[in-house]
Amino acid sequence: MNFKALLMGATWAIGLALSPITAIAQNSGGNLVYLVQPEPPSLASFLSTSGPIGLVAPKIYDGLFDYDTDLQIVPSLAESYEVSEDGKTVTFKLRQGVVWHDGAPFTSADVAFTVMDVLKQVHPRGPNSFREVTSIDTPDDYTAVFNLENPAPYMLRALSVYESPMVPKHLLEGQDPRNSDLATNPVGTGPFRFVEWRKGQYIRLDKNENYWKPGLPLLDRIVGRFIPDASTRTAAMENGEVMYGAYGAIPNIDAVRLREMDGFSVTTDGYAMINPMALIEFNTTKPPFDNPAMRRAVSLVMDRQFLIDNIWFGYGKPATSALSSNFDKVGLYRSGLPNYPATGDLEAAIKELDDAGIMPDADGVRASITLDLIPYGEDWRRAGEYMKQAMKPLGIEVELRYEDVPTWLNRIYAEYDFEMNVNYFYQLPDPVLGVHRHYGTDQIRQGTHFVNSSRYSNPELDALLAAGAQEPDATKRAEIYGEIQEILATDMPVANLFEMEFLTVYNDKLADHATSAMGAYGPFENASITE
Amino acid sequence: MAFWRLFARNRSAVMGMIILILIFLMAISAPLFFPADPFSLAGQSMSPPGENGFLLGSDSLGRDVAAGIAHGAKTSLLIGLLATLVAVFIGVIMGALAGYYGGIVDNLLMRTTEMFQTIPSFLFAILLVAIMKPSIESIVIAIAVVSWPAVARLVRGEFLSLRNREFVLACHTLGMGDVRIMLGEILPNCLSPIIVIGSLMVATAILIESGLAFLGLGDPNIMSWGFQIGAGRTLLRSAWWVCTFPGIAILLTVLAINLVGEGLNDALNPRLRDRS
Repeated sequence: MNFKALLMGATWAIGLALSPITAIAQNSGGNLVYLVQPEPPSLASFLSTSGPIGLVAPKIYDGLFDYDTDLQIVPSLAESYEVSEDGKTVTFKLRQGVVWHDGAPFTSADVAFTVMDVLKQVHPRGPNSFREVTSIDTPDDYTAVFNLENPAPYMLRALSVYESPMVPKHLLEGQDPRNSDLATNPVGTGPFRFVEWRKGQYIRLDKNENYWKPGLPLLDRIVGRFIPDASTRTAAMENGEVMYGAYGAIPNIDAVRLREMDGFSVTTDGYAMINPMALIEFNTTKPPFDNPAMRRAVSLVMDRQFLIDNIWFGYGKPATSALSSNFDKVGLYRSGLPNYPATGDLEAAIKELDDAGIMPDADGVRASITLDLIPYGEDWRRAGEYMKQAMKPLGIEVELRYEDVPTWLNRIYAEYDFEMNVNYFYQLPDPVLGVHRHYGTDQIRQGTHFVNSSRYSNPELDALLAAGAQEPDATKRAEIYGEIQEILATDMPVANLFEMEFLTVYNDKLADHATSAMGAYGPFENASITE
Repeated sequence: MAFWRLFARNRSAVMGMIILILIFLMAISAPLFFPADPFSLAGQSMSPPGENGFLLGSDSLGRDVAAGIAHGAKTSLLIGLLATLVAVFIGVIMGALAGYYGGIVDNLLMRTTEMFQTIPSFLFAILLVAIMKPSIESIVIAIAVVSWPAVARLVRGEFLSLRNREFVLACHTLGMGDVRIMLGEILPNCLSPIIVIGSLMVATAILIESGLAFLGLGDPNIMSWGFQIGAGRTLLRSAWWVCTFPGIAILLTVLAINLVGEGLNDALNPRLRDRS
């Protein structure tokens, strides 16, 4: 990627924003009221990746990078970066003159502290994103040198404000980051500063007058409102009380209705960095799914398009590989793999089982299994009901099981007491961050949620995963991930169902809220309101 | 025969009885008219009533609403009857012991009963089903557990008033055992109110089951009316038929049972016999 050209592009864009022509198009000022659902437990984005925190904290903090809608790097607190020949040293040049909301200057010491003492220690995904980082040198206030054990190209995709917010060393040092005042009283360098949190009602952020991007942010104030009831949220959107709701704050059924109304728009943009994927996890350690033919047959029989059309109101895209097609933008996705029909192929599925010698008994039953379903709402129940019907002609008798969240998590990730589980994972902007956790032998971590619950272990694949994580060359890396996807399409420890599309519903008066790949988890500094 | 004459005097009770019989017939004959699994994806999703071969329309997955109602009738009636039987069984034992022996036994049993009565019954049922995992058995148990206190109190009252009557004292003098007196002498004399309260409890049980299924706490592998309504409620604006017809089915059934219960009360209660 050509970073210099991007950098120039960014400078040019900022220049444009300052020119008189665009000043007319973009209205400065105004308040944005948006939906935050549910109310976040804290604003400690350095401690938790919980969705509602992501809706608020990225407006207050900054990351080293942002990413544009093509997933390319956009400089933020880091103005430029350089990777050494062997890939083991990454040097970031930091922006000068940036100050925290309390007036203290932002320096390389903050970067070193954030990564080594906070993200690597207490962030859910930080230990993985920064696992190769052994130390960070700070030769001067505006240079941070990351020393790596092995090359880690994926790390550069984990530096957004949502994933890795830079936190102030002078306010956290010497404290336990898990129990600091910063969690409810955040101080960042971002476009908006924290003003007030009225529990049960709203969080108010005001414009940071000293923001380092000249002329930004455009809005004077943003207010995140908490409205627990879904139909009340929809009503608030309809009557203009709130202008923006993302991550299903407005249910799909209402979103498709609002889409037809004047003054409202619905978009699926802004989720590319999240990359959600609906999938089935198979327990590969016990019958019947210890047999790969069974797993392939289930993948073959699923009518993915039916699920999307009838349960998710047409929002989604049939999965065709272990990787989401969003990885096509960075060259890692491979198309044309077997066992991923978009609309289901019963004959091929039956043939798969017949060839494997799994024959129906006198009652036409080849296997009786229990299907567990992620207890995150009605849609998943409908999906389970569909799957039960879909597998019946295959001779697989299905019992459905719904449990509460803790029981379900415990069953799948601690007890491994399941056969087949419907779930969804965030694949995140790089497979190392979001996909490896499904398949690596080292990711069989009893008791840790959302990792390799299939307990699939394949030394050949492990070697490829390790190689893929460290390969700096884009072409070679694509080759490695191609091979990984071939193996997984055949072994199928996890059958991906469809690439989920979350919906953002917004009032047409609100402009430029999704200029970052982070979408709702982004900074909103370009957002503006036109009357 | 005298009973039937008395019962038939109440026209609305007869009406309820007819509806109830029809619903029973529907439940029994469901496999004949709708041989397929009611969960099967029968065709075009969200078909309005009368289109694409769906008498009452289809839901978001293309399941036949009419088949769901026919098969759901069995579930509702089965759960209603079973839960009531269990509740009456527990209630009669508790009430009989408390009323017959009095004193410390009465105190102990009645305080226990009151403990159950202080918890709002529907919330208690939700809690029980959530703990036990949704299945037919757990739903029956949950409904029975929240319903028996009413029976217990009623039976205790009857036993209290009957235990010092001459015929009971006579039994004592004849040397009859306590169990025999309770079951053979007192219980038959308080059967009428038990039958009346039991019939009304069937209706309540059906409502609780529907409520649980509506909240997603039904047995996910068994079709029921509450499940249909719960699954269709997000579609209310775009496909009204998905939850309307099962709703009507619940309404009719509960109404019919209440009418029959009222009729039984009139027919069995000697003090009301001359009411017309």
